[in-house]
Amino acid sequence: MDISDILLGLSRTHDPLAEDDSQYEDDLGSGQADLQALTRAWINERATIELLSWPKDGLIERVIDRVKAQIEKVEELTGDMDPKTNFSLIIIQTEVERWKFLIRSFLRARIAKIDKHTLHYLSTPELHARLSEMEVAYATRHQQLLHEHYLGSFLGSFPQNLQNLNDTAGGISMIGGPDQESGVFVRGLGSREFGDQSGVVVKGRGRDEDGEVEVERGEVVVARWSDVKDLVERGEMELV
Amino acid sequence: MALPLPPGLTPSEVAFVCELEMVTVVPRQQLKSHDLLSGPTPALRPPHRAPLPLWLALLLKRQRRANIIPPPWLLPTSLERILRYETETSPSAFSPPPPHPHTVSVLPSATDQMTPPFLPSSTADAPSGHLPYHWLELGEILLEACSDDIPDPDKVRTLLRDLREVRMAKMRASTKELEGGGVVSLRGVGAMEVAEGRQFVVGVMDGLRKLGASRETERRRREEEGGDGDGNSDDDDMEME
Repeated sequence: MDISDILLGLSRTHDPLAEDDSQYEDDLGSGQADLQALTRAWINERATIELLSWPKDGLIERVIDRVKAQIEKVEELTGDMDPKTNFSLIIIQTEVERWKFLIRSFLRARIAKIDKHTLHYLSTPELHARLSEMEVAYATRHQQLLHEHYLGSFLGSFPQNLQNLNDTAGGISMIGGPDQESGVFVRGLGSREFGDQSGVVVKGRGRDEDGEVEVERGEVVVARWSDVKDLVERGEMELV
Repeated sequence: MALPLPPGLTPSEVAFVCELEMVTVVPRQQLKSHDLLSGPTPALRPPHRAPLPLWLALLLKRQRRANIIPPPWLLPTSLERILRYETETSPSAFSPPPPHPHTVSVLPSATDQMTPPFLPSSTADAPSGHLPYHWLELGEILLEACSDDIPDPDKVRTLLRDLREVRMAKMRASTKELEGGGVVSLRGVGAMEVAEGRQFVVGVMDGLRKLGASRETERRRREEEGGDGDGNSDDDDMEME
């Protein structure tokens, strides 16, 4: 919570008349903006098989704090229960549950990807940087336990030079990553690269020819993940 | 702990996202403004219309505290027009999506990159004659929860079913274009259609890619040796799994 949030909260309590419809529509105040960012991050994470970067601007930490604060508010409200506030509580709690679902599903989707290719995401610094601190701790510990278990149950009786799990001898790496070329559904969000807003240009690679396609703002296309990955990371496209 | 689902939203997750769409309600009771996580809700005073997210509107509807005004595109005349467009005017492509409600100005703004479900495409003053991204889920949800608010619900139901069939056939036909790979446009497609078609489309795409992998690498090598030097800097190691 920063100062602008507090100010926003103050002006809200002092000026109840300001809460008419038009203000609600235009209010891109942090709550609504966070919900939009969280929804986009969740759908992006759910729609591809590769782990995306942990949101850099502290989005997840912020929404978790918001949910915690809201739950505290609910606990206070339950203190003075009367039938009137009862319905308010239902509304507030329904919303909290919706946010919690988004956060939980987002984190679980990431854990599933980390579980699947743990060594892959720990292998290079660039991939490593995509994980949050907690995820790094989880992945390291997970891999350590797994390795110990393998050593204890069968790897230990192998010859020394066959005990590695990350061998790259012979030009073939033992570490498998997600299929970069798998197909995804993406939506163009528009680009400002050439000054004014225009479509996003996707370099599509095909079997018989490669080509550039301009994807309009709001248009949904099917493409290979590796062709649109940078655009998704730059925020010029979103997965659907 | 880890999510056991394959990539892509499931139909119930798509419905969850759809519930974030804004709809217009006519309250039947007073309700004060609530400070929700996503911002304050408007105070409800009958008979003034107010915009609410669908999940909240459904909650109020179920308790008979409000009526939901169906979006203009969900009315039979609008759906008939769209169906005619889908079958006669454009028998192979989807009908165009509604125009983006926020035009782009010179200065960057938060609305520039807004996408469904956060666009007001299903409120009472949304444009008619276009199917928004969440058309199928929204139509089905409204028909189930508040068929008494929708004029001629049986007709709407039939029209939605017809539209769905016409468009599903187009979705399946689009796999023909996938054969060569590259980028295939599905302009105007709906969220539920993406969810339904994903496994099939992605499966076809990946299968064809793997079958054509040698041909693709061969072509790339030829292009490079041909030496017209188009500066194709892609590294061409197609790794087979």
